Amino acid sequence: MSGEHDEHHHPSAWGPHHWDHGAPHNSWAPLVMSIGFGIFLFMLANAFNKDVVDASYIPLVMVGLLVVLFGLIIWWRQDMSFDGTYEPMSTGTPFKNIQIRKVGMWVFLMSEMMVFTSLFSTYIRYRTGIENCQTVFERGDWVEQGYTLETGEALICFEPASHLIASSWWHIAPGAINTFALIVSSFTIVQALRYASKPVGEIDENRRKKLVTRYLGSTWLLAVIFLTLKMVEWFIGFYVPEISFLGIHEHDIKSLVAEGYMINADHYHHHDWVDPVTGATMLADISVGASTFYVTTGTHGVHVFGGIVGLTYMTLKASRGGYTPKNAVSIEYFGLYWHFVDLVWVIVFPFFYLY
Amino acid sequence: MNKEKIASRTLVIFVVLLMGMVAVPSATSLPTGVAGVKDSGCNCHGAVVSDSVVPILEGLPETYNYSEVYTLTIGFTGGPADPSNINQGGFNLWVSDGEITPSDAAVQSWNPNEVSHTDAGNDQTTWLVDWIAPSNDRNVEFILHVNSVNGNAGSPEGGTSGDEWNRLSIQVASPTVILEQANPYTVLTTLIVVSFVLLLTVLIFIFYQNNPESFDWENFAPWVAGWLTTTDHKRVGTLYFLAGFFFLGIGGIMAILIRIQLMEPGNDFLTQDQYNQFFTLHGTTMIFLAAMPLINGAANWMVPLQIGAPDLAFPRLNAMSFWLQPVGAILIFTGVFSGTGADTGWTGYAPYIVSETAHSGTTMWVAGQILLVASSTLTGINFLTTIAVMRAEGMGWMQMPLFTWSILIANLMLFLSIPAFGVGLIQVYLDRVIGTAFYDAASGGDPLLWSHLFWYFGHPEVYVVIVPAFGIISEVIATSARRSVFGYRSMVYAMAGIGVVSFIVYGHHMFTSGMDPTLRFVTMLTTMLVAVPTGIKIFNWLMTMNGGSLVYRTHTLWALGFLVTFTLGGISGMFFPSMAMDLHFHESYFVVAHFHYVLVGGTVFGLFCGVYYWFPKMSGKMLDERLGVLHFLTAFITYNGVFWPMHRLGVWGMARRHHTYFISVDEVRGVDGEVITEAVIGALPPEAAGWNMFITVSAILFFFSNFLLIINVIVSLIRGKDAPADPWGGWSFEWMTESPPPTPSFGRFEHGVWHDLPTLKDANEHIANEPSKLGEWFNRLMVADKEEVEN
Repeated sequence: MSGEHDEHHHPSAWGPHHWDHGAPHNSWAPLVMSIGFGIFLFMLANAFNKDVVDASYIPLVMVGLLVVLFGLIIWWRQDMSFDGTYEPMSTGTPFKNIQIRKVGMWVFLMSEMMVFTSLFSTYIRYRTGIENCQTVFERGDWVEQGYTLETGEALICFEPASHLIASSWWHIAPGAINTFALIVSSFTIVQALRYASKPVGEIDENRRKKLVTRYLGSTWLLAVIFLTLKMVEWFIGFYVPEISFLGIHEHDIKSLVAEGYMINADHYHHHDWVDPVTGATMLADISVGASTFYVTTGTHGVHVFGGIVGLTYMTLKASRGGYTPKNAVSIEYFGLYWHFVDLVWVIVFPFFYLY
Repeated sequence: MNKEKIASRTLVIFVVLLMGMVAVPSATSLPTGVAGVKDSGCNCHGAVVSDSVVPILEGLPETYNYSEVYTLTIGFTGGPADPSNINQGGFNLWVSDGEITPSDAAVQSWNPNEVSHTDAGNDQTTWLVDWIAPSNDRNVEFILHVNSVNGNAGSPEGGTSGDEWNRLSIQVASPTVILEQANPYTVLTTLIVVSFVLLLTVLIFIFYQNNPESFDWENFAPWVAGWLTTTDHKRVGTLYFLAGFFFLGIGGIMAILIRIQLMEPGNDFLTQDQYNQFFTLHGTTMIFLAAMPLINGAANWMVPLQIGAPDLAFPRLNAMSFWLQPVGAILIFTGVFSGTGADTGWTGYAPYIVSETAHSGTTMWVAGQILLVASSTLTGINFLTTIAVMRAEGMGWMQMPLFTWSILIANLMLFLSIPAFGVGLIQVYLDRVIGTAFYDAASGGDPLLWSHLFWYFGHPEVYVVIVPAFGIISEVIATSARRSVFGYRSMVYAMAGIGVVSFIVYGHHMFTSGMDPTLRFVTMLTTMLVAVPTGIKIFNWLMTMNGGSLVYRTHTLWALGFLVTFTLGGISGMFFPSMAMDLHFHESYFVVAHFHYVLVGGTVFGLFCGVYYWFPKMSGKMLDERLGVLHFLTAFITYNGVFWPMHRLGVWGMARRHHTYFISVDEVRGVDGEVITEAVIGALPPEAAGWNMFITVSAILFFFSNFLLIINVIVSLIRGKDAPADPWGGWSFEWMTESPPPTPSFGRFEHGVWHDLPTLKDANEHIANEPSKLGEWFNRLMVADKEEVEN
């Protein structure tokens, strides 16, 4: 068998790693993380069965996530010592003298592109293939057909979340702030890169440490704001007090879930769906539209969450003075991903929030 | 001992325990071990089993007559039951075969195998039921539970105190003496456990072989930990091979069980339900857990060696891609041993896959596949990057060995298509778990969307598993013919062409879904187009042999076998784009024959060829040629025996995915008992029974013939001849290093720079360098190497 080499080369599979020898040769992280993902998916399926939740499995779901986190920490322990010594360059055409890891990141983004393309295909198929609920409502024949709150019969139609979200400036506010937050975070991550990669001597090292930490930290904060506002918009809602001198009236902005806009909403009615003549309320099965909304924006949210996880590590590393011009390009790799997440939002936002 | 060592060892133990834990529930959840009423003693009142209660079951014969109705008297004596009380007792009777029916209102039927008392029957101590004996040979088992009740059910104390119950088991023999029928789950589990134990034994033996003196725990744990944590592309490649061959065996066992079921018409070795799970897992295992890991194993081993790279671009991600696979595999197999495995077919068509009627194991099947998708994505990143950026100095795109080209194209196809599948799987997972409605037709979900997402991935996927085999065959035929491959450029463009076309042909899987005739026509044409690049490759291989002088080694034989079987598979494939034929052959054994001809005769033969070709390089030991030739001859003949007759069965109309079939001489009786043979829909001609038997026998022989490879490998590892660096006279980079290669494979990394990396001038160039018109145009798209410009 090959490679007795490894043992005296890199004894530690836990890290930190000696990068003088090249990439890590042994690591527990892949095995541990894989097991963690397995436990997570297994327990998640046990915990939820459509509408029924078996709470006793929730701790085990957490165990799965903790195992993943444990694996991630091993991975990071190995990377914490990374100082740019090992930054292999491409040798062949067409990427000659470009960092290999940068090429890898672009390749990864190619697959991410396909992920969101598939989600958008789903969206387009359902958006164009199922009649819009508002159109059905305005046509009015649902009254005779008996799809009303009184009969309890629901008709199938596509209800975009934008019908609720774009109904007022207040409703759209979380999404709008989020868009702004993400765009600003794209700026802060570039600033972090800028200061990390300033040549030695042009900037005081302490100041570099402070600035890089600060900019990475603000990126982290903006990402957290993004997810928090998303939770507010989905589950919590918010209250606007009466501020008369600004002309602001009292509003109780309900969350999407509180409005009944849920993935399994098969008996949903929008508060405006009242027939002016008969006073009947239209009842609709909108679970397909809602599922599409939550899963597409949720997938984007998961990507933001992944960014937060990565930023946590990077901020920590920066606060220890871990970034120098030699390895500042690592921030660029993350930045590529982060810009991509930002760009996806720029497309998701109009399609799911405005239109 | 330092902390890290302790932690490593703890983790080794943890992993071993985890494997044990995975095995244990599988063992206890065999159908006979599944807790049902018949085992747990019914939901009887009172926790006490009491000998004072004597169950009675009268009216049973010693041996039964076929289909005769017996009236059974169930009863009990003893216990707290008292005729003065309102309630006196209850019972539960379970029978393994035949059918029990209640004969009055005091008894109710749960299912044909199980009856119990009703509310009205509570105040009795005897009950009457009818048992219809089975119409075939069975040893029948009766399990009776009786409950003696003291009638305080309405009292405030809870009502069941003081009640007692007991159990009785009776065997009734079949009219003729029969051997007990094998339980397919028992067979499957036993074989899996046996192969797993064998695998572990071999691993421990290899460890012992390496260093007999240090055969103790102190050395064993670090050795195992070394393999569990490795990121070396060669070791990960070996792990892929181990996992791949293990699951090839498991998939094979399932195939054998399926074949035993289909051995004769109307067989009942597997129930319909078991059959569904077995063919689902057979397909999934063979594609995702056998073919893909074996390809990845070969790619992991050979791609960095062939392009002169020290390792893959992202070694840790590479280890991650591997470890996601066994974890995914465990999830995929969850449920099958307790009879609730995925029963959706490997395509998992909606809406069945999201319905309540699909087994609960389907959720886990989906979860496991999600992990496999993640694994393939990481693999894709790794290989695309490695091949794009880590080629040796001077090795342009058109100097890359064809195997590396094939891996590049396969990964590109996989990489661009698998996210669609992943998204579809996540949608299905969420549909099943948290109740979204993507494929719920009742809420307006579109099941066809799943087909689109699946086949957008699924069709490139089948090329993903065949294109690497093309690469292997190109290498082997060129080396064996002792010349460079004929038409290198056209080979590359042909593979690239297959890659492009693969994305626009998937519609042919959905011809029967009612798609637009115009689109059907377009897909028909594009699908036929696939034959062009494939044909170019076949003729190039033939021309390579024509211009060379062939050396007949084992791998050469496999390559020649591949040419025959793959071409046959390709020709039968040309029947499907033609819509009229497709509609006839859809879901028939003709399809089964076709894709096994390309997947077994193509992919598996190609991989066997690769194993024989590269094993000396990987292990440093030569394989035995005589065993190899024997393996080829037995496998090639029996393989054709399995799949060739399937074409004929398909033309006759034998349906795939059906757990049994009937032939037209089978008696079918109408309501009045008259024989109505002609009325059997889909009955096959009588010869079909013989052919199916022939296929089954061939399948078993084919299965066992492959053990010759395993024996060969083990024998060679123990006492094979040492392999030279270049045993076959190959030209590419991998033959320049030692056998086995050192780590890192090339060069050394010091002070932030790689030293001594090879350049193309080090290898004996065997690839035509002539710039064709198209090639010049293609080269212009690339930033030229400095050296290339100077030249």
